[in-house]
Amino acid sequence: MDHDDGLRKYVGMRSEPVTACDPVEPGAVRRFVQAIGDDDPVYWDAEYAAATPYGVPVAPPLYVSHVARRPPGTPDPFDRFADQPDLDGSDGAFVAAGAPNTHGRRLPPVDVPQVRLLNGGVEAEFFALPAHGDVITSVAEYVDVYEREGRSGPMVFVVTETTAENQDGRLLARVRNTTIRR
Amino acid sequence: MTEVDVRAERTTPRFEDLVVGDAIPDLVKGPLSPAHLMRWSAAVENWHRIHYDADFAIGHDGLPERVVNGSFKQHVLVQLVRDWVGPAGWLWRIGFQFRGMDRVGDTLTAFGVVTGTRTADGLGVVDLEIGLRNQRGELNTPGRATAVLPLAGGRPVPYPFVPPREG
Repeated sequence: MDHDDGLRKYVGMRSEPVTACDPVEPGAVRRFVQAIGDDDPVYWDAEYAAATPYGVPVAPPLYVSHVARRPPGTPDPFDRFADQPDLDGSDGAFVAAGAPNTHGRRLPPVDVPQVRLLNGGVEAEFFALPAHGDVITSVAEYVDVYEREGRSGPMVFVVTETTAENQDGRLLARVRNTTIRR
Repeated sequence: MTEVDVRAERTTPRFEDLVVGDAIPDLVKGPLSPAHLMRWSAAVENWHRIHYDADFAIGHDGLPERVVNGSFKQHVLVQLVRDWVGPAGWLWRIGFQFRGMDRVGDTLTAFGVVTGTRTADGLGVVDLEIGLRNQRGELNTPGRATAVLPLAGGRPVPYPFVPPREG
């Protein structure tokens, strides 16, 4: 299909590496696991963690999808509500430039008319857990972009693979997110 | 309130005891109040208003209610499997689809069932069907996972994890 040919050009595009503005902070990990309700002491207790294979306190494996936040000193996206009160808060300016959970928004945007974004799902593979203090760098790549007919018209599926590693170059995770545009 | 020793019950299942069809322990979250979704959105700095702004979710986006973040649900599924594999096991792969929306007031039950076991490279590999079901019985987040466990008397699961050579 002609349109699919237009979408294929995105496959293989990779982002520049993006490094989180903060290292993996104990306080951020605490708020994260408390918000989930995950009581595993390996996320905060150094004495407990020392007896596990990890040796040190860590964060949950998909924490890598949330480490890249809006750096301090950058424009406040909430300022836009003054002029655009109907913004839904989900577009790229509201999230960290380069956050792996932004479904590749730091990649060149896939230029299609469908404006609504749905989180379609995840396929992830884990190799190590982020340790407290780790500085995480990630790279995102479009691995598939295709169109399918949906009930309300054509939908575009964008599959982005994000690879996260720590400051030693240790591979932590590969995470594939599928975003549906409709 | 009773003090709970969160370290006490963390063990790794014996690979040799597992049979296809075995259920792993459920993990229940909820009922999920607006405060739960606000706390999660703030923890991950996700400002999508459908998760915490009722006027916007219902009045603007036409949703029946504020919806539970997909990111919240994915970490519940991760916790389900990590709680089960324990400190000596490893959650290797996990995948799931967001097929429908769960909303404020819902209680989500994460479940897992063993669908396959095999040994590879001196380790036990376990495939699981997993998912999140709400109190209406809707399975909006089906998925699967693969965990790796040590064999009885075998080598520990390597950390950092190195996938076993299969075949």
